[in-house]
Amino acid sequence: MVSTTNKHTDQITTAQAAVLVINYTLGASIMTISRNLLEAARTPDIWISVILSGLICFLAGLFILWLCQRFRGKTLYEFMPEITGKSVAYVIIIIMIVYFITMSAYELRMMTEVTSDFLLEDTPRWSIIMAFMWIALYLNVGGINSMARLNEIVLPITLIFFMVCILSSLNLFDIKQLRPVLGAGITPVLHGIMPALSALTGYEILFILIAFMKTPKQGIRALHAGVWIPTMIILITVILSIGVLGLYATANKTYPTLTLVRSYEYQGLIFERFESLMLVIWIMQMFTSFSIMHYAASLGCSTMFNKKPNSLLFVTLPLIFIVSMVPKTLMETVKLGEMLGVASIILFGGFPPILLLVSVIRKKGMRRK
Amino acid sequence: MFYIPKWSVFVQSTLVILIPILFVWVSRRLRDSIRSVFSLHLDKSKNVKRESSLSEISGTGQYDQDLQMLQESMAHNADVHFREFTIRGTSCRAVVVYVEGLANSNLIDSHLIAPLMREGVPEADREDFEQSSESIQAYLESHLLTVSHLRWGEKLQPFVQGVLNGSSGLLIEGMKGFFLVGMAKGKSRNVEDPISEALLRGPRIGFTERIGENMGLLRMHGKDEGMVMKKYEVGTRVKKELVLIYMKDIANQELINEIDSRIRRMAIDDPMDSGYIEQLIEDSTLSPFQQLQNTERPDRVIGAILEGRAAILLDGTPFALIMPVTFSMLLQSPEDYYERWISGSFVRLLRFSAAFLALWAPSLYISFISYHSGMIPTSLALSIVESRQGLPFPSIIEAFIMELSIEILREAGIRLPKPIGPAMGIVGGLIIGDAAVNAGIVSPFLIIVVAVTAISSFTIPVYSAGITLRILRFTAMIFAGIFGLYGVIMFFLLICSHLVKLRSFGIPYLSPLVPYRFRDWKDYVIRSPLKILKQRPAMLNPRDKDRRTN
Repeated sequence: MVSTTNKHTDQITTAQAAVLVINYTLGASIMTISRNLLEAARTPDIWISVILSGLICFLAGLFILWLCQRFRGKTLYEFMPEITGKSVAYVIIIIMIVYFITMSAYELRMMTEVTSDFLLEDTPRWSIIMAFMWIALYLNVGGINSMARLNEIVLPITLIFFMVCILSSLNLFDIKQLRPVLGAGITPVLHGIMPALSALTGYEILFILIAFMKTPKQGIRALHAGVWIPTMIILITVILSIGVLGLYATANKTYPTLTLVRSYEYQGLIFERFESLMLVIWIMQMFTSFSIMHYAASLGCSTMFNKKPNSLLFVTLPLIFIVSMVPKTLMETVKLGEMLGVASIILFGGFPPILLLVSVIRKKGMRRK
Repeated sequence: MFYIPKWSVFVQSTLVILIPILFVWVSRRLRDSIRSVFSLHLDKSKNVKRESSLSEISGTGQYDQDLQMLQESMAHNADVHFREFTIRGTSCRAVVVYVEGLANSNLIDSHLIAPLMREGVPEADREDFEQSSESIQAYLESHLLTVSHLRWGEKLQPFVQGVLNGSSGLLIEGMKGFFLVGMAKGKSRNVEDPISEALLRGPRIGFTERIGENMGLLRMHGKDEGMVMKKYEVGTRVKKELVLIYMKDIANQELINEIDSRIRRMAIDDPMDSGYIEQLIEDSTLSPFQQLQNTERPDRVIGAILEGRAAILLDGTPFALIMPVTFSMLLQSPEDYYERWISGSFVRLLRFSAAFLALWAPSLYISFISYHSGMIPTSLALSIVESRQGLPFPSIIEAFIMELSIEILREAGIRLPKPIGPAMGIVGGLIIGDAAVNAGIVSPFLIIVVAVTAISSFTIPVYSAGITLRILRFTAMIFAGIFGLYGVIMFFLLICSHLVKLRSFGIPYLSPLVPYRFRDWKDYVIRSPLKILKQRPAMLNPRDKDRRTN
């Protein structure tokens, strides 16, 4: 397969790679993460699961890094055939493209759900979706570099807003809600790992990003930032949700994070009811996640069909739209998210070590010096 | 089967792809047509030379024939005068050709006609003088023409152009060519405070319409042999002087080469103002953002070329162009550097927030009133609702009425004669606003929003950036009218998506904000102390990175 993108002119810095990984990871799932965790394990100890899954993500990311460093300047789609041969590679790549398309559809659907719940009750969903998709398309046509720059603009804004909104609830925080630590033993903590993982997977985008980096050796820094910063944010969100709302309330709210922001009230500010404001800002975060996923899917298609990525960006758009309309309700959408988490762990947690092993045995790619 | 979406979803999904394709098609057609009509790449096949009878003719050396030729080519112009006389001491006839009102008549009288008619050629030199065409030319140059600016040529066309440009032409019997003496005097105005960019502190000097004076103003600024002024002749029909200015040892050579090639490829009959040059060499024609900055201030030009940028001066306009432009430049003013850094930074912060308000205030008003009244504090929401009671229009129409009328007022204010301008402002601003509230068309709260927006937009130090902001403000209002806050966010993302793609002469428009260049952030929203700003901006990749080296 011939490289279809110009990786010499369209390169990204290490900071940009890190920002892209963070933005890819932090998407819509943060709105529901506490409830998902509590549904899997009814214990305040789920914050330990978040830390553990952060560790697991980091390990899985390491394998991806090793694999990418054997094939300098190539994306996953390009070096996969070298490792396994074309026929197997095509199957895996198609699965991955389907994964990225479904993932972006999920992100899109979640965005639509929260927007039409909180901001635009009467506006038809398709119009919300179309505006969102077209702007993402406009951005992505500019290539990975403009995407990276937009992410750099958006990330500080969203993170600062989110942290301020979340941390404002600190005076309602009750440490007793989190006790006893490990009161039910370690088993529920392990049960919580699965949903935590599905919210934290984002390292897989490194498969594509490393190929575009100016200094691929610094990929480890992008991985560190891309795993630990989202882990910290999700950890804070989970701890505060449980500490402020309590176990029961957190488990029964549709969007516990928004409920958390609604729980406090400050008089005398320009705004009241911060949850809508935070949601509006967070839409930008979902936008960046969506655009990266959309780009990843289109890049895969473009390598497979050996076409320019820009035309494939158009083709994947209606597919994503249709897939995003498949779930009937919010609950089904959330279920879809969990299924995607499992798929991601298998695809990007389980496969890379095997691929690495195969490539070492078949002596493909460069040796590590 | 249960999970297959309804047919309407499939229809919508075709819309999802069809509309962008249509959009791309239209914009591509638009871009192509712009390129082919008004092109940077001169279309070779259409490049037919203007029919000119003069271009190949040169002087014959026969006085009567040459004079007739000159008269044929110029005498039909009422302002061209021929003054014939004989050089003293010889029988040589001579004629001075000049344009009334443009040529320097003092120079003609005292340095052309006076020496030739009064002193002439002494007896002793007469033989040397009359030998040949070359000897006449040499003798005149060395003995008689007491002027500094003297050109000689055999071709007729440059002579005619020179005379029509204001030089005085001199034709002498026996000489096989023409002299062009002196330069146009013409009328010029005094150096004045720049009207469009007035400052409280800093030099009160603005460019004028004369390129020679403007270059002089830049040279006058200080001694530096590194400043290069490269001359071009632009315009296919009307020739004009254009000067590219940069610092030889600072500006990046690739940037200079790029600008050079764009100037050379430019093709237009007459670039009337530097605005023409700007539009012909900019990167993206369809972008609402300017990619070259225009300024009347020499100190702004000097500051820019010291950072490693380049500037263009054009004859006949007081506006210089600076390139490449980055977004931050549009909100920075030279004054920020003249004041101490604390006040400079404060003013800059103020300006950034004012620009934010000028762009978003009306759209935020629309979305809070029409969609999310729950987000503003209850007491405020109640008072707004109360004030809006009985208003016939939704907030989007209301805001459009007021914003449009204030833009019309502003536009009218520029055209109005000075004495009635302020009176009109009072009538328009106060009376119409008050009457509109009393008549129940708009709410008083909106008047506040519109006023804040208008005043904020006046803080932007670059006038053309203000226009961009106004256009975007109206678009933002439309988005807010359709989608509320969601629309505002989408429009923000749209602008950002556009800006991250935009480049000005190869420099990303949003740098140094993105990609992160923390070192350049010292001079972005905050203007750090000069003692800290030791480095030139790295985004321009200057040759000499350190400001302190000599």
